[in-house]
Amino acid sequence: MSNLPHNESDTVAAIATAPGEGGVAIVRLSGPLAFPIADTIFRGPATPPSKQPTHVILHGTITTGAAEVDDVLLLLMRAPRSYTREDVVEIQGHGGPVTARRILRCVINAGARLAEPGEFTRRAFLNGRLDLLQAEAVLDLVRARTDRAASAAVEQLEGSLSRVFTDLYDRILSVATDLEAALDFPDDELPPIHTPDILARLRETLSLSNQLLATWDEGHILRDGAIAVITGKPNVGKSTMLNAVLGRSRAIVSPRPGTTRDTIEEYVSLDGIPLRLVDTAGLRASDCDIEIEGIRRTHEHVAKADIRIHMLDASTSLDATDREHLATLNPSRSIVVLNKTDLGCAISAGELATHRVVRTSLVSGQGVDDVKRALLSVLSSNFDLHAPPHAVISERHRSLLVAAVDELNAAEALIASGAEDATVPAAQSLRVALERLGEITGRAYTDELLTSVFSRFCIGK
Amino acid sequence: MTSAVETGFEVVVIGAGHAGCEAALAAARMGARTALVTLHRDAIARMSCNPSIGGMAKSHIVFELDALGGEMARNADYTGIQFRVLNTRKGPAVQANRVQCDKPAYSARMTAVIERTPNLVVIEGEATGLQVSGDAVRGVMLTDGSQISAGAVVIAAGTFMRGRWYVGKEERPGGRMGEKSADALGRDLERLGFRLARLKTGTPPRLHKDSVDFDRMERQPGEVPVPFFSMQARLEGQGVQAPLFHVEQSDSRLRPWPPGSAQMCCHLTHTTAKTHDIIRKNLENSALYGGAISGTGVRYCPSIEDKIVKFAQHDSHHVFIEPEGRGVLEIYPNGTSNSLPESVQLDMIHSIPGLERAVFLCPGYAIEYDFVDPTQLKHSLETKAVAGLFMAGQINGTTGYEEAAGQGFMAGVNAVRCIRREAPFVLLRHEAYIGVLVDDLVTKGTEEPYRMFTSRAEHRLILRQDNAGVRLLDHARQLGIQQPDHLRRAEDLRTAVDREIARLRKVFAGGASLAQQLRQPAMTYDRLPGADRSLSPDVSRLVEIEAKYEGYIERERKQIAKSLRLEHEEIPASIVYDDIKALRFEARQKLNLVRPENIGQASRISGVNPADIAILSVWIKRLRSGK
Repeated sequence: MSNLPHNESDTVAAIATAPGEGGVAIVRLSGPLAFPIADTIFRGPATPPSKQPTHVILHGTITTGAAEVDDVLLLLMRAPRSYTREDVVEIQGHGGPVTARRILRCVINAGARLAEPGEFTRRAFLNGRLDLLQAEAVLDLVRARTDRAASAAVEQLEGSLSRVFTDLYDRILSVATDLEAALDFPDDELPPIHTPDILARLRETLSLSNQLLATWDEGHILRDGAIAVITGKPNVGKSTMLNAVLGRSRAIVSPRPGTTRDTIEEYVSLDGIPLRLVDTAGLRASDCDIEIEGIRRTHEHVAKADIRIHMLDASTSLDATDREHLATLNPSRSIVVLNKTDLGCAISAGELATHRVVRTSLVSGQGVDDVKRALLSVLSSNFDLHAPPHAVISERHRSLLVAAVDELNAAEALIASGAEDATVPAAQSLRVALERLGEITGRAYTDELLTSVFSRFCIGK
Repeated sequence: MTSAVETGFEVVVIGAGHAGCEAALAAARMGARTALVTLHRDAIARMSCNPSIGGMAKSHIVFELDALGGEMARNADYTGIQFRVLNTRKGPAVQANRVQCDKPAYSARMTAVIERTPNLVVIEGEATGLQVSGDAVRGVMLTDGSQISAGAVVIAAGTFMRGRWYVGKEERPGGRMGEKSADALGRDLERLGFRLARLKTGTPPRLHKDSVDFDRMERQPGEVPVPFFSMQARLEGQGVQAPLFHVEQSDSRLRPWPPGSAQMCCHLTHTTAKTHDIIRKNLENSALYGGAISGTGVRYCPSIEDKIVKFAQHDSHHVFIEPEGRGVLEIYPNGTSNSLPESVQLDMIHSIPGLERAVFLCPGYAIEYDFVDPTQLKHSLETKAVAGLFMAGQINGTTGYEEAAGQGFMAGVNAVRCIRREAPFVLLRHEAYIGVLVDDLVTKGTEEPYRMFTSRAEHRLILRQDNAGVRLLDHARQLGIQQPDHLRRAEDLRTAVDREIARLRKVFAGGASLAQQLRQPAMTYDRLPGADRSLSPDVSRLVEIEAKYEGYIERERKQIAKSLRLEHEEIPASIVYDDIKALRFEARQKLNLVRPENIGQASRISGVNPADIAILSVWIKRLRSGK
């Protein structure tokens, strides 16, 4: 949001339907020139679009010069009764992507500018049509890679996330109220604060926060895909694995060890769950700078991985390096693939007893489905993928919430210490926690606090 | 009747209450020829409500005034009859001194100080209006037709503008019980285009001392050693003869008794079920609940009707029985402020243990008055509309002597700076409670009488009363009001504290630095092995607090640095808020009203939330990029 190069006085256009072969393609126009542009490119009823009332549908054709581009329906929405609160015209064409692009070209030739990604939503936000949480949800919706992610974003759009955050905010505010009242009024005017009660309420807010944070794991998987990193020694077949799971050739494969020197990332959907498959440079000692850099990146990816697919050559027995690699795996979040089973098996089952093992011969495509099944099973045992999708938090929410949780923990420790003079720092921590949450829910701290203090306490002097 | 024009003044202060006195003294002490206009010479610095100075968060303001060169701290210390520290258990940040004062002595001492201050003249009369030419103030008109011309005017009219007071259904015009109101000035401010609104506040009845049975109440004696506000009284308490401030010491009004000597007791009693019954049955006769008063009341200092109605679950409330002075018959039953008919008040008071036979010297009453929406002021307390015109005290919607005095001092200083074409003196929120007070008023305005609370300050651990002298030393020096001797002592204190803290960090014993050992929960400086026994209590106390809270203080400093960045994000004066459709209607309205100078100030406006600030930031960045 930081660099908005354009102002709202221009008119933007974009193809609003997803790319691909659909029955209908929609080109959306928003801005002051939306109606005049429609007038110049649309041939339909005698009354031109700009003279029509709002919220009508017109039938006609889009033309450029003498040529007809497509037979279309025109939807007219005048400001402020539109998604962006600007004048909006939607052109519904029949054809697929090619026709849609031709309509878009007409519109741009007539004076519109190509919209940036998310710009309609940004305009809707800047024009007060959506609040920040809703705008973020729409952007998530646009970016959603699967249906499940989309329905989570819809939930958020409907405000369930706002409700959860508001509830958390109110609970912390109520604890802060008690502390502040104790601080702002002399000892003889208020009953002393009841530490066990304050602590219990504070711990409740902590567990609520942690529950919310847990949704991020799932949220990030729905939105960004679970990160599955393929590791292993050079030439064990990692790139072949990537291609096999993708079902197409993406990575260059060769019999030469060390072919993949940089990481390659691809998305794939497994049963509706998005997976970010990362192919890495093989792990081996090397003195080639490029390869060393590749290996360094591999380690970075491993650190971020939700799942690891570690590959071994089934035809050679385990050496010290292999055992070292295996020791770094978290058995519940990894699978070990024994590839090249066609060349024989030199590794005994006992040596991999703690791991989930899949045998493949990727050269002939054997075992790919087993790998997919194993991946799904690891995903579903680590993440609750079958619960109905609920509101999940975004990266921005997560970092604010993490900051708030740090403050809540600090306050909890201070109050648990039992020292009365720790009340000020504890209250200070709650204040910062509320400020962080306020950045999510859009609420301001002090006014609410004072109102809250004085609606609950009777202050004499 | 004269129609003379006085031309000898640079600053005129209207009103000689707690705001007006500080304003006039500050201006005169800075060397400006100053006139102080008051309805009655004998009502200067009158304590018209409770008899105490200080208390929670207000105490901080008094300490800050003492640091900068105000008079309130000394005036309270030298006329105090009971001294206490409140909230001692909750740490130094929220501790507060409170002094019960002898009301006549308080007023008399301030009068004597004013009379003896060079450049300061008291004029008895009523200001009826302002002379304004163009958009700048030129002087003040009085009822007798005379005029005082001046380059700057400070209005500190308190509750007198169109004041009306109420006892039950009985209603009279008046600025205080038995005193006339100032109606013309309010009308004149309206003529000049200022937005005025009504507020209300109340006081309890005053009881005859001899009719109160103190034996049936809990005694609340004063404390020894005496907790003073002012450096001067502290020094005198330690046997140091410090020169008195700008005035000769010969007048007994300046020092009616050795400060802190012969303290008196306050007493504590409580309301009963019968008290609550009486009030409930008579609510419709109350001015507050009968609908006679339209102004908004003090939520924080509620009338007893308010307490009974809003906190029905409590079956008893504290009543503090406070003396109003040594030779004074009046007793102030703090906690019983009301506007019930006098006969009902009597029944109600008689239902309180120890007050069964109490005799009234004056009934409780409510007062309703005009105040000026303070968002019409700049941070200097100068009005945005009329150059050279300043407002301070209850007229800006505050309640409390201390809040009034803090504003008065700032307005007096800035009136002089305005005449001298110098940059205004503004305290930031992390520098002083006075800074929080002024910023809250001019940024948020107020819908009810504004009282200070520690929770209004973001950085309580830095804004302590114990460090006010050190914290504000550089500002005090820059202002030039404070005595050189005072500045030198504050400087010495700061140096000694810094030096000792540095030493504690360097010296190790048993594997931990002395500073680390001092941070242990039960440790005090006095018990610390390796403490410097030669340090004065002032130094060792500051060292102990600074060391114990070091981590938290450091954290607050980081937060301050962060929030200061927002203060530096300026909002172009030409911004048109109505163009920003994304802002909610309320936010647009408030921004238009306040017209904040930067994003930091905008973020503190009530009704402007973080999402609005995000939108505003984006908008300004876009304006900056020129597209």
